[in-house]
Amino acid sequence: MKNHKLFTLIFFISILISCNSDDSKKSTDKDSFDRGALLENWADNIIIPSFENFASYTTDLEEKTEAFVQEPSEANLASLRASYEEAYIQYQTVAMFGMGRAETINYRMFLNTYPVDEAAVKGKIESGSYNLELFTSYDEQGFPALDLLLNGLAEEDAGIVEFYTSHADASEYRNYLQAVSTRINGLTQEVLADWQNSFRDEFVSNTASSNTGSVDRFTNDYVMYYEKNLRSGKIGIPAGAFTGNPVPQNVEAKYSEGLSKDLYLKALETVQNFFNGKHFGKSETGPSYKQYLDHLNSVKNSADLSSLINGQFDVIKQQATNLNADFVEQIQTNNSVMLQAFDELQKNVVLMKVDMLQALSISVDYVDTDGD
Amino acid sequence: MKNALFATVVGGLLFTSCTVDDNPPIEIDNIDVPETYAFERNDNSSVNFEGQTTRLVMVGELLSSFNDFDNATEASLSNMYSNVNDPFSSEELNSSSKSIKSKVAASQLYFTGNTEESHALKNDFESFITGQVNEVFPNKNEVATPGVAGQIADGSSVRYVNGKGLEYNQAFAKGLIGALVADQILNNYLSVEVLDAGDNVEKNDAGLTEEGKSYTTMEHKWDEAYGYLYGHPTVPVANPNAALGDNADQLLLKYMGRVEADPDFAGIAEETFEAFKLGRAAIVAGKYNVRDQQVEIIRENISEIIGIRAVYYLQAGKRALEAKKMGTAFHSLSEGYGFIYSLRFTHNPATNAPYLSTSEIDAMLEILMDGDGFWDVTPEILDALSATIAAPFNYTVAQAAE
Repeated sequence: MKNHKLFTLIFFISILISCNSDDSKKSTDKDSFDRGALLENWADNIIIPSFENFASYTTDLEEKTEAFVQEPSEANLASLRASYEEAYIQYQTVAMFGMGRAETINYRMFLNTYPVDEAAVKGKIESGSYNLELFTSYDEQGFPALDLLLNGLAEEDAGIVEFYTSHADASEYRNYLQAVSTRINGLTQEVLADWQNSFRDEFVSNTASSNTGSVDRFTNDYVMYYEKNLRSGKIGIPAGAFTGNPVPQNVEAKYSEGLSKDLYLKALETVQNFFNGKHFGKSETGPSYKQYLDHLNSVKNSADLSSLINGQFDVIKQQATNLNADFVEQIQTNNSVMLQAFDELQKNVVLMKVDMLQALSISVDYVDTDGD
Repeated sequence: MKNALFATVVGGLLFTSCTVDDNPPIEIDNIDVPETYAFERNDNSSVNFEGQTTRLVMVGELLSSFNDFDNATEASLSNMYSNVNDPFSSEELNSSSKSIKSKVAASQLYFTGNTEESHALKNDFESFITGQVNEVFPNKNEVATPGVAGQIADGSSVRYVNGKGLEYNQAFAKGLIGALVADQILNNYLSVEVLDAGDNVEKNDAGLTEEGKSYTTMEHKWDEAYGYLYGHPTVPVANPNAALGDNADQLLLKYMGRVEADPDFAGIAEETFEAFKLGRAAIVAGKYNVRDQQVEIIRENISEIIGIRAVYYLQAGKRALEAKKMGTAFHSLSEGYGFIYSLRFTHNPATNAPYLSTSEIDAMLEILMDGDGFWDVTPEILDALSATIAAPFNYTVAQAAE
């Protein structure tokens, strides 16, 4: 294997190369990027406004649920369903913000664990006995449970309404539906209040560049959300990217025909907007990963890393135009398009998880495990 | 930083600061290499590859069902491939979270970001199952003729082939040697992307083990590579070559034994084992360039075994064709088909890519299956394919042929 002549020839060169590689870990304390301003922009212009916005939708969701529960008509079902769909879409704008109260209470798990356990939900409704606060009940509540309760009980709206009117357990169905909506709103108000009261300052002032600092922790969360929840949850797992066996029943919002793609696109847009520090609901931008990377002059293969990442987001959005509005249907008719989406999403996992984190000198605090 | 570094180099400190990374002969002296593949931490073995053993056992059970005309169904075989619906006879296999299919064409290096091809390859094995059950099973009592599946005599044995003379079970088994075993070893577990993922290096340097385990993540990844080759339960863990040629592995190790038995390649088994052992010891010692040199040896040797066996079976098929022993020829060619398929997963350390390109491999498989398949293949075609396969490797067709 060893060619000693060649080895001698390249000896001095390789010393330089190897020593250079030791230099790649720069000390973050010495990079002059203003982490405090970055965190302020995130908290004040993006995270808190996103939660404020979402909380108005969950309030509406709870109200529309009350209206339907009091008078279960097809018209009220349609109005509740519209509120649910819009709230589910708006949820995608806060789903990735997993720090603070959201982390303590496992907010994301309670709001959006799918697939919903249809048998468990129906069993609990019929028994009339349930406790949505249990950590074993993640997949019996949140938006996936609403998806089932508003769309999955019967083919026609008239049939769905019957579950809340003439069904033997109609009053339990009404109670459960109400409990699910109330809990979505309650947890959301709780997370929002925490950001508004104390967590904002705690978050913004923790400018340390260690693995306990806000930037490091948030960034791990951000990349993990992109990899696990967006890439794997919305696309990879239902497409069977890891097993070779597609599972259309694992599509997000599987009972809501045509909603899955909207959820995906909203999540994608949110991740990219955040990357660019775009203020929620506005066109202006502030300190961001993009600015941070540009400040560090991060390049890969002689291209700006931030441009590569944004360029790849654009490719992903372009590819999404090939996707059916309903992912269940897409998987059943031509799963290749889902796999293509997965492969495009994966490219930004590499650019962000490897290149961006390296540039920002942030170490990954979660690992992939293949279970062996 | 770079200027300061250059000054350091010019200042003559380079030998103290930098030679360590670039002078493997010195380092090898500092690596404690055991006699056998036995590594311990705090008196507990730090070697573990249960997941690999599980998959090798699953493959064994699946293959033994492939010609079970009375009991096997398309669903039962496919369930075994994916490990769904409790398909195996052992509860331990059924309840394990592992499956064969999820690790077929699934390496980090070749298939990350290449999911479409990964799925197509995974599904090739489904199609072997489908073909077996839908083409061969109904014709088990027919005599095979061109275009008609059925049985064909190979000496005193009976082989069951499709209309083109291909035995699906051979395509399946020999295909898995590349798609499962070689791909996972060469392009997944031994790749820098997996060995050095996340903070594996820092943790390995610090001797930080996985929670509740006696191994570091990097050590474990290396052992998982080892397990795909040596992990069959009938193989002694620490000294596998003692059972070379006397074990129930049906995938790579079996054919390493065959290649080792050819005087042209004697020594390959020991060299490969030593590379695994030294590489593992180098991880313990934190000498990653020594580790990576062993990866190159393993990549070259395992790839070569696949290439050698592909040529071997084409040549054996050719000799049988010339002797008009069609059944014998078809059996060899079916094995050859699987080994050619497996070339897709080889890894040439010089190029970090397969020894032959996907298009070359696909073209060869197509030639073999063209028209009536093995029924109208000629010795000239088999010689040409053999030469194509041998070309990028360090052996001749003649060396591989017998």
